[in-house]
Amino acid sequence: MASPVEQFALKPLVPLHVGGVDLSFTNSSMWMAITVIGVTAFLTLSMRSGRLVPGRWQSMAEVSYEFIANMLRENVGSEGRGYFPFIFTLFLFILFGNLFGMIPYAYTFTSQIIVTFAMAITVFVGVTVIGLVRHGLHFFTLFVPSGTPLVMAPLLVPIEIISYFVRPVSLSVRLFANMMAGHTMMKVFGGFAVLMGVLGVAPVALLVALTGFEILVAFLQAYVFTVLTCLYLHDAIHLH
Amino acid sequence: MRISPDRVRRAGAAAVLAGGFLASGVARAADDSGVKLPQLDIQTYPSQIFWLVVSFAVLYVLVSRVAVPRIFEVLEERQDRIADDLDKAQTLQSEAAQAQADHEALLAEARARAAAAVREAQDVAARAGAEREEVARARVAGMVAEAEQRIAASRAGAVDNIRDVASEAAVEAVARLIGSRPGEEAVTRAIAAVARDGRP
Repeated sequence: MASPVEQFALKPLVPLHVGGVDLSFTNSSMWMAITVIGVTAFLTLSMRSGRLVPGRWQSMAEVSYEFIANMLRENVGSEGRGYFPFIFTLFLFILFGNLFGMIPYAYTFTSQIIVTFAMAITVFVGVTVIGLVRHGLHFFTLFVPSGTPLVMAPLLVPIEIISYFVRPVSLSVRLFANMMAGHTMMKVFGGFAVLMGVLGVAPVALLVALTGFEILVAFLQAYVFTVLTCLYLHDAIHLH
Repeated sequence: MRISPDRVRRAGAAAVLAGGFLASGVARAADDSGVKLPQLDIQTYPSQIFWLVVSFAVLYVLVSRVAVPRIFEVLEERQDRIADDLDKAQTLQSEAAQAQADHEALLAEARARAAAAVREAQDVAARAGAEREEVARARVAGMVAEAEQRIAASRAGAVDNIRDVASEAAVEAVARLIGSRPGEEAVTRAIAAVARDGRP
């Protein structure tokens, strides 16, 4: 039997080497491309007619737009408007990546720590730069929680600094671990179903429940990643 | 929804611990069984980062240049339409209120005019009635006066007649009694005395 983690292996589809670096187009890259196409199709085809009274697809596109717009407004405020396209793209990219990963034989690129970490570090660096540009050196008061007694500062400031720099790690590991654990678990139960013959009905039933749960997780983790990005953006713009 | 940064931080720390534990556990299990965890294969990182950047950039351009403006436009149009309809409804409502006010004013005016007409007609009728009554009363008074005059005249005539008859009867009676006719002047004086005092 194949190892449950074998599903995460990358298979080069179009080998590509640039200056000795392997940039092959892999199954992961293919599903990123499919996600791009899927998101674009979802947003453009549904809005093509742009009806006054929306149909099902148009209403879904509008709901996702307003969902992220509200999230940004509530967590960041009106200053966050300029970042809306990025946040919206981030949300849809992760969401569709997670959901497409639920299709049998598809590849879940969000189960790769390097992918989630790349996104998280981009958010982290971007947010830090925004904070520094907006507030200059004043930005570093972020590490001194308001109302901290001066005596406590030597203790609290390092904690704040550590918690700040842990952000990209927690952000990326949360998404990666959730996706990887879910898919591993499904593979394990799938393996049981094959091994147990007639009794395999039990793991299959569990697998059905797990599939529903994984779809929930796909939404939830996309939401969590996005809402945390909004919160970090809030900190950078408002400093607490 | 606003999530407190404290909770997020605590959840983050928990997730890091759990994630790290899970990853290391899975990795160790994978190592033990001789299978390497594909996620930890650094060889694949450049390709993944490269294609992530490419696809994310493409998606960002598509979303920000094509999808978001379109959705914004549709939502804006709907918002405008709704606001427009609300405005129109408000205008119509105020127009209806105006029309009702006009109608009520008209009605009140008509009612007042009708009341005035009724009052005038009543006045005219009352005046005419009074005039007619006056005329009738005057005529009746004239007729009464005339009748009284006539009655008085005929009474006077009757009294004269009675005197004549009485004096004739008296003359005849005296002639029968004494055989001679009294003088006319004496008879007249006697009758006048009887008529005045009830005795001669």
